[in-house]
Amino acid sequence: MRVASVELQNLTKRYGSIAVVDDVSLRIEHGLLVCLLGPSGCGKTTTLRLIAGFVEPTAGEIRVGERLVSSPSHTVPPEQRNMSMIFQSYALWPHMTVTENIVYGLKLRKVDRDTMKKKLDAILSTTRLAPLADRYPGELSGGQQQRVALARALIVEPETLLLDEPLSNLDANLREEMRFEVRRLHDTYRYTTVYVTHDQSEAMTTADVIAVMNAGKIEQAGSPEEIYNRPRSEFVARFIGSSNVVKGKNLDDSRISFAGKPLRVIGAKLSAGGETAVSIRQHDIRISTVAPPQTENVVPATVVRQVFLGGSRDYMVEVADGEQLRVVTSAEESIAQGSAVYLHLPPEHCRALSR
Amino acid sequence: MSALISTAVERRPAAIDISRPVLYGFAAVLIVLIVLPMSWLLVYSVTDRTGALTLDNFFRLFSESAFLDPLIATFIIATSSSFFCCAVAAPMGWLVARTDMPVGGVIRVLVTASFVTPPFLGAIAWELLAAPNSGLLNKIFRAVTGAPQEESLFNIYSLGGIIFVVSCYTFPYVFVLVANALDRTPGELEDASSILGGKRWYTARRITIPLVLPALLAGALVAFLQAMTLFGSPAILALPAGFHTMTTKIWSLFQYPPKPELAAAAALPLLLLTIFLLRAEHMILGRRGYSVVGGKYGAPRLIALGRWRWPALALCLVVLLNPVFLPYAALFNAAFAPVASHFLTFSNFTLHNIEFVLFELSATKLALRNTVILGTTTATIGTVLALVIAYVTARKAVPGYRMLGFLATAPIAIPGIVLGVGLFLSYTRPPFILYGTLWILLIAFLTISLPSAYQQLQAAFRNIHPELEDASRILGATRLQALRQITAPLLRTSVIATWCFVFVGVMRELSAAIILFTSETKVISVLIFDLNESGDLGAISVIGIAMLVITFAVVILVNRIPGFGVVGAGRLRT
Repeated sequence: MRVASVELQNLTKRYGSIAVVDDVSLRIEHGLLVCLLGPSGCGKTTTLRLIAGFVEPTAGEIRVGERLVSSPSHTVPPEQRNMSMIFQSYALWPHMTVTENIVYGLKLRKVDRDTMKKKLDAILSTTRLAPLADRYPGELSGGQQQRVALARALIVEPETLLLDEPLSNLDANLREEMRFEVRRLHDTYRYTTVYVTHDQSEAMTTADVIAVMNAGKIEQAGSPEEIYNRPRSEFVARFIGSSNVVKGKNLDDSRISFAGKPLRVIGAKLSAGGETAVSIRQHDIRISTVAPPQTENVVPATVVRQVFLGGSRDYMVEVADGEQLRVVTSAEESIAQGSAVYLHLPPEHCRALSR
Repeated sequence: MSALISTAVERRPAAIDISRPVLYGFAAVLIVLIVLPMSWLLVYSVTDRTGALTLDNFFRLFSESAFLDPLIATFIIATSSSFFCCAVAAPMGWLVARTDMPVGGVIRVLVTASFVTPPFLGAIAWELLAAPNSGLLNKIFRAVTGAPQEESLFNIYSLGGIIFVVSCYTFPYVFVLVANALDRTPGELEDASSILGGKRWYTARRITIPLVLPALLAGALVAFLQAMTLFGSPAILALPAGFHTMTTKIWSLFQYPPKPELAAAAALPLLLLTIFLLRAEHMILGRRGYSVVGGKYGAPRLIALGRWRWPALALCLVVLLNPVFLPYAALFNAAFAPVASHFLTFSNFTLHNIEFVLFELSATKLALRNTVILGTTTATIGTVLALVIAYVTARKAVPGYRMLGFLATAPIAIPGIVLGVGLFLSYTRPPFILYGTLWILLIAFLTISLPSAYQQLQAAFRNIHPELEDASRILGATRLQALRQITAPLLRTSVIATWCFVFVGVMRELSAAIILFTSETKVISVLIFDLNESGDLGAISVIGIAMLVITFAVVILVNRIPGFGVVGAGRLRT
């Protein structure tokens, strides 16, 4: 089995004057699972369809291994790319049984009967579909259909596997289960996999690398930890996990003014006279009714609202200039609504965002 | 444009991009089909015999009483039919869709039956029932009351009679629109009003009625349009009554001595009004998106009628007496009775009419042959044409696909008789002298059936998610393999249904054929019209029943295909 890297270079797709995919460059190493993560309309599905060859780029190139497969002047058609794809709609052919759906790709490859039988049996047992082999797709539940789509894509042993929001049509429980299934199958077969989703926890559980997309561009690409702990832009900070983003005038190269107090931050060096956005996670803020021992990065505030969430408590607090922040604490720490509190924003968690 | 939209057109270095020739080829065919006759219509209407530019034709049209009277008659017929259709169809639609009235499904089927009955056949059936002397209902009336021979209860040869018969076969349009709108209005919308304190009538007034009002309005427009462009019923009923409508007037202008320029001038307002009304309908229905806002909804809420359940059903059945039960009974009676105006009994039952139609009437064989030839060729060419255009537009396969789709639906705005006039003017002159051949009828039927065939196949393509083809491509199938292995099998039933639909449509078409036929190119519908003039109502009944049987067979077939159903039946044109 060959696995190839996939490389996008300055990939752009314009419809009229609108750039749906805007100068995207990304290298996906052999056997990695990359998630394109972003809100709907960010261009992630178009990027996937560009990789599959359903869409021609307006500018830029796509290489698989050493082979140039897409450029504005030449696009290898999808059937010659040795890829597989799982579609959001699953795209199971309703006029074919589960077996017929699964072996379709093998038939096109003129695989002999015995091999086909062996591969079919193997994939049916891997995806636990053996008892359903003669059913039609219309007779299956959502989760079963999803597994047929997986089996059909995997049986041809593609160099590259593409997944377009494969779990979005499943209910919550099943979705959680299938996330691990997708990862398990990836670990078993080690295809280079590109996975498109708008669900950040789905991306976190499955991906080796997450590329956060917004408005046709990749905002940040990195490991899940990197994306979560060191967001580089306001968009990533807000989209991944639960960060407060506050803005303030730069006081010197490491402090901004927040609610009338200086706030020490880490990350990029601040330029004098500018304004900087700073992200801080909800559970990194400490809240107390008495003045904390620290003097730096302590801001007075009022509790606007508090909600008991079982495992934790969720506060909305308002600082002097009227800005509201969310704070998550342990469930035991109960402070009544309207109380005056001190917020401690530890400098090591206040991350200056470059954008 | 081409590089941007041609998402599906791949460029292999050796292959030639055939998308443009395909587009231009089809566009050219459609332009010849539509634009050519309409252009000649316009040219003729503004020129005199010598070819000089003039507005005299229009001046005569709006000043001479020979033209003004039909205009007024048409307006009266269309307006009042439209009103009566709404008055009958809206309550019936509500009863069927929103109450627990028994056997609502059967009522829907019966409405569909009146939908697919060719209006000219209905008009002839009502002749059998309510002609002043020989009408069966008048005979019963005289037998019951002992009234003298000259007295009659009904006279179908009258303005009132025409309005009644036209309404009988037009109200299903309104019914279907209203019932569908009510079907789609989720019960929760009304529940939401109730929970906020709205009493039953307040909810009906503020929520239910406003939600279906657009559908009702659109229905009224469609009914108006139908009544305005109908040829068969007024020709059968108005001419004996001694007056004309616009369509019969246009037809009479082709009788000797022909006055094509006046016919063209008279056809043009019909065309413009049709386009205008269809635009209006589109706007009204287009804004109705608000009725399906939001996610999951339950079934519509049914109102319990209590002891009014059965009277409601009786009311519906009484209404349906007029378009279905009585006319069908009259046709059946006439088909097997020795004289059409006599009542059928066990002793006078005869197969003479069937014998006459099949073996004695020389015109039958020719008309049948022509109809079968035209039906099969129109259905085959039309389906292929529609299939390719539907594929191109559904998959956005070539740049400029929108224009193809527009051209394919455009003929919907051309009333049959207007098209007939246009084609007559276009093809009685060089370079294409097609008048007197089956070709001109083929062109007419092709044009008329293209919009519905296209819409049906486009709907079929829309049901086939493009990802089904994509999935096959990414697994290694070429575009042609994907079409053959995935798309074709999934489309098969829709294609067959469309073919049958076009065939049935051709069989029923009268208003264009009546302008374009010659003695050698007569078709079944024209034969029925002729037989009516010669008074062979028994023979008509035999042919008519055969037509109905074929039509019902097709409609039943089509209704078994998901996604077609009543909407499909709604696209039958006459």
